[in-house]
Amino acid sequence: MLDTRRDFLRAIGVVTVGAASAAPASAAPAAGAPSPAAASPAAAGDKHRFAMVVDVGKCIGCQACTVSCIYENAVPEDSFRTIVSTYEVEEAGRAAMVMLPRLCNHCTDAPCIPVCPVGATFQRADGIVVVDADKCVGCAYCVQACPYDARFINHVTRKADKCTLCAHRVEAGLLPACVESCVGGARIFGDLEDPKSAVSKLVARGDAKVLKPELGTRPHVFYLGLDERLTGKVEGEPTLWRPSTTEQHT
Amino acid sequence: MDRRTLLKSGVAVGGLATFAVGYADTGRKVVDGVVDSLAPKAAAANIHGASLLPEYTVDPATGALAPNAGQQVSYTMCMGCTTYCGVRVRVDKASGRVVRVAGNPFHPLSTDPALPPETSIRDSFVALSRQGEQGLRDRSTACGRGAAMLAQMESPFRITTPLKRVGPRGGAKWQPIPFEQLLAEVIEGGNLFGEGHVDGLRAIHSTAPIDPARPDLGPKQNQLAFLSSTNEGRENFAKRFVQQAFGSINFVGHGAYCGGSYRSGSGAVFGDVKQMPHAKPDFANAEFVIFCGTAPANAGNPFKRQGWQLARGRTDGKLDYVVVDPVLGHSDSMAARHRGRWIPIRPSTDGAFAMAMIRWIIENRRYDEKFLAQPNAKAATAAGEPSWSNATHLVIAESNHPREGFFLRASDLGLPIEGDKYTDKDAFVVVEPGSGALVAHDGPVGPATLLVDASFAVGDKTLRLRSSFDLLRESADRHTIADYAAECGIPAEVIEGLAREFSSHGKKAAVNSHGGTMAGNGFYNAFALVTLNTLIGNLNAKGGTMASGGAFPAEGPGPRYNLASFDGAVTPKGTPLSRNVPYERSGEFKIKKDAGKPYPAAQPWYPAAPQLGTEWFSAALSGYPYALKALILWNTNPIYGIPGLRAQVDAPLKDPKRLPLIIAIDPFINETVAYADYIVPDSLLYESWGFASPWHGVPTRVSTARWPVVEPPLAKTKDGEQVGLESFFIACAKALGLPGFGANAMKDAAGTPLALDRGTDWYLRAAANVAFAGQKPVADASDDDMALTGVDRLVPLLQATLKDEEWRKAAHVFTRGGRYQPVNQAYQGDQMAQKFPRALQVYNEQVGTARSAVTGQRFVGVPQWTAPAFSDGSAMRQHFSTAEWPMLLCSQKSVLLNSYSIGLDRLRGIHVDNPVALHVDDAAVLGIRNGDHVRISTPGGSVVGTALVRHGVMKGVIAIEHGYGHKELGARPHTIGATTQPVKPALAAGICLNDLGLGDPTRKEPAVWLDPVVGTAVRQGLPARIARA
Repeated sequence: MLDTRRDFLRAIGVVTVGAASAAPASAAPAAGAPSPAAASPAAAGDKHRFAMVVDVGKCIGCQACTVSCIYENAVPEDSFRTIVSTYEVEEAGRAAMVMLPRLCNHCTDAPCIPVCPVGATFQRADGIVVVDADKCVGCAYCVQACPYDARFINHVTRKADKCTLCAHRVEAGLLPACVESCVGGARIFGDLEDPKSAVSKLVARGDAKVLKPELGTRPHVFYLGLDERLTGKVEGEPTLWRPSTTEQHT
Repeated sequence: MDRRTLLKSGVAVGGLATFAVGYADTGRKVVDGVVDSLAPKAAAANIHGASLLPEYTVDPATGALAPNAGQQVSYTMCMGCTTYCGVRVRVDKASGRVVRVAGNPFHPLSTDPALPPETSIRDSFVALSRQGEQGLRDRSTACGRGAAMLAQMESPFRITTPLKRVGPRGGAKWQPIPFEQLLAEVIEGGNLFGEGHVDGLRAIHSTAPIDPARPDLGPKQNQLAFLSSTNEGRENFAKRFVQQAFGSINFVGHGAYCGGSYRSGSGAVFGDVKQMPHAKPDFANAEFVIFCGTAPANAGNPFKRQGWQLARGRTDGKLDYVVVDPVLGHSDSMAARHRGRWIPIRPSTDGAFAMAMIRWIIENRRYDEKFLAQPNAKAATAAGEPSWSNATHLVIAESNHPREGFFLRASDLGLPIEGDKYTDKDAFVVVEPGSGALVAHDGPVGPATLLVDASFAVGDKTLRLRSSFDLLRESADRHTIADYAAECGIPAEVIEGLAREFSSHGKKAAVNSHGGTMAGNGFYNAFALVTLNTLIGNLNAKGGTMASGGAFPAEGPGPRYNLASFDGAVTPKGTPLSRNVPYERSGEFKIKKDAGKPYPAAQPWYPAAPQLGTEWFSAALSGYPYALKALILWNTNPIYGIPGLRAQVDAPLKDPKRLPLIIAIDPFINETVAYADYIVPDSLLYESWGFASPWHGVPTRVSTARWPVVEPPLAKTKDGEQVGLESFFIACAKALGLPGFGANAMKDAAGTPLALDRGTDWYLRAAANVAFAGQKPVADASDDDMALTGVDRLVPLLQATLKDEEWRKAAHVFTRGGRYQPVNQAYQGDQMAQKFPRALQVYNEQVGTARSAVTGQRFVGVPQWTAPAFSDGSAMRQHFSTAEWPMLLCSQKSVLLNSYSIGLDRLRGIHVDNPVALHVDDAAVLGIRNGDHVRISTPGGSVVGTALVRHGVMKGVIAIEHGYGHKELGARPHTIGATTQPVKPALAAGICLNDLGLGDPTRKEPAVWLDPVVGTAVRQGLPARIARA
């Protein structure tokens, strides 16, 4: 049993697919993956709705995204804005690897926003959910509220911290660090307001899934090729990648 | 107490306790927050935290680029593994620090397809942006480790000044000394440590024989040996000193304990057991690939390129594949479960699997007969075949014939030949179909008879002759498929199904292997696996297997500067330390033969192998064939990397009388450097010069340039040069008066003499050679190219070192991080554009006529299944029974770590430890649960690790991931002068399989278990047992 998000992020669980506490696979992909039009009723132009599509079959679990994010965003040790959770699953006598890149889902109905007592967390017009560090008091309500374990208290700044889709790079006309260094080409970033964008076309295919669709958070990180039984939290044994609880960081 | 503090305290907290603590803490903070939020605020929300400022801005509408004046983006080379990818490095100009690393979009090891080489630097930056979603198409990446390597430069364990040991060897105490003192001591020798006289390099540099009675051993200067790792771009500079200037024959890399068995097995097929050519699948066009002994996307070289090729092939592409491996790794993906499949196999049995496939393919005539029947290159071309083999060539199979095992030659038939009998010009012989006559192989422009086993009149004798292919058939038929299946643990129907699938795609199928073959029978296992490719004739075929695209030579004889040779250059002579030459040509053989008993030799010889680092320590410390007087280690770590070596040589290596002088050139103190007498600090990846090329996997020509995008923090010589490999060797050569360094050391194309006084004299001229190689030189670098990449800093140096017409072209190479053939030149129709031209060997005569120096028996010249064995040919299980050692250990490549990355905190933070994997069924029998401490023992050692119970490991196997279990590199603090390195126990995390490696029980001297044919290290299939600790 995993006690903490930090363990979960780092764990390679050894799980049996059938035994995973999988989320009900009731949600049709469309429930979590609205068409670009539904997600963004406004017309194109200056409006943006940024999103990510993760083609799971192209992820090789190399953690280039994880490390690139760490250096791009000064993520402190023992914390992650994104990571690839890596599991071994077993089904009908056949073992297989699951690589699941994880990050903030930039939900349309983000549970982290209403719980913030000081209004530090908000969603930008382009859909990116951010934290105003000047307002944040580090209470961690948002950390508790996020069903995706995507937030943490930065132990250097003592503020809530999370993926911003590298908003500073996006504003500069660049790609998020994790996308530009994705070796397998699994991470695809773009604007759902632009019907010609790669993400719009992939989401429009209709087979993308989101994590925990039953919560109705309307995530904007979409997964292609993900087994429905893995869209929920996978309870694994935290044995292969165990946390460095005793390490001193100097 | 925040959440993290709870975690740090290691307290196991339940839900309620967490909540209560969290609530109290939060209440206070909310109050603080209310007060705080009344304070005036800046207008813009502070959302970017400490994220880096972007390196440049690109207007998404126009694509206009606005550089960030505070940063520099440079294209150079990663050294995070032996792939040596081209990367882009962001430097914060104010601090001089590298802040982030990603890929170089010109470089095929980081981008696919790479940008056209003529693209401007400005456009290459825009190509990475969101503008028009170019950055998704032209995405250029660094891997996880590549992105983390920059931390090495600021490691607290880095050595930046010359060191001399204090106290006994291996005692972890050092004294910083000036470079000039180090130089004087290693050149002149003397009583350097109060332990007695030590010969310096001046005394060792002698052309007098090591042993006047044994001239075959060569001159005394062979008693200086140099251990490298790989050609990371500077190896030719080191070779210039060691081989051409000093004149030692002993220069070796890490191949014998990397994937040497695969390379040797491949070398047998490609007909060159010294250079050991090998092929890679053409991933982009292959339809079915069997990976056995290698796992793309999990590890391997080129790591990223194979990774994305696999990822694309199994999703958007047409690639189906299996990974035959004792351990399930990152080659597999549940999301691509219908395209790729893991097939568990017992370690060290790849040969049984491959021979079963060979048997099935031959029995069912599923081989490519049209390919195999072509006796020469002409006939193959006429038949539309992209390669050819010696399958039809006839071998003398007459028992006790003096040339048994050799190919029959034209001269044996009395045919006229050019040159000497039994040399290259003396043709092989084949059977002409129809007539049944024996004819020279190079005559027919059509097929020859493939399966031959008959007696023929040759001169006045009747000889049994067999075709290479018939010998292979016989070898495969020696065991049934059921027997092979029982050996390797793969069901017979699975093997047959794979053989059918493999032979169902024409030439668009491939087998690929590598370090998974490093077993006590690794050579034959690899020989068998590679021969599967021969059976379907896939070499040089689009979608089959391909040769490497090669490089634009940097250190050759031209075109601008001759870096390959110099006046007075020495050709080393004598017996190499690892005895990779025929024993039968040695003085020892002659003495023993004259005494009536030529075999066994005192120790093994490896006539069908390259130089072997695996034998060097045994050889040097046992004085066979001769002792070493000085060993130079350069960025290499055999004590950590060779299974079983530490246990075998720790005590003798600590005895300076056995090996009197050890000099390490290294930025860190690794497990081998810890034994050094002197350490010369060296530059690290983004601080150094060098030219490398892809090891393999790229079908077009590539030269990767590395240049110092930041300055190293190294001590200087009194002349102001940075201390390191180059300044050390230049100073040594000048002190010893050796040619090839200093004044008049090299020449330009016109023959004008030039000096080699500093590293840049070499590397900038190498850059000119790269720039001018081929039919047309590269374009000139523009001022904008140079300003954007920081190459403008090099301009004064470029102008001072190179000619007017050269320097901007050399700058072009540095601005692009190398030189690249356009990637659209990879194919010619359905064939690869660059081809391996020579015959593939179904029967390798050199192997088949070589003898074990221990047993005197001939080796087998075709692939075969043979059990793992020690040097005298006795099977491992004769010595270590399954009753006592029921499990087999195998080494598993790490997704993140390598042998020198344990100090990268951010990588280790993702993956802190290496629990050992074993199968659920074995764990159940042994009563081992996930997370248990377990003791793993082999005849070579015993360690305690943590168990990870998996389905994804073969039954009966314990898998240990490589890269952990360090004893140095920060795992133990060293004292340097008055300073002691930090104590950081996390760097000792986990265990190292090589601490469990075996000694060879059939040898008297300290020696590790090596493949008995080619001397490569054994890390797969170590006999072991495991129990709860």
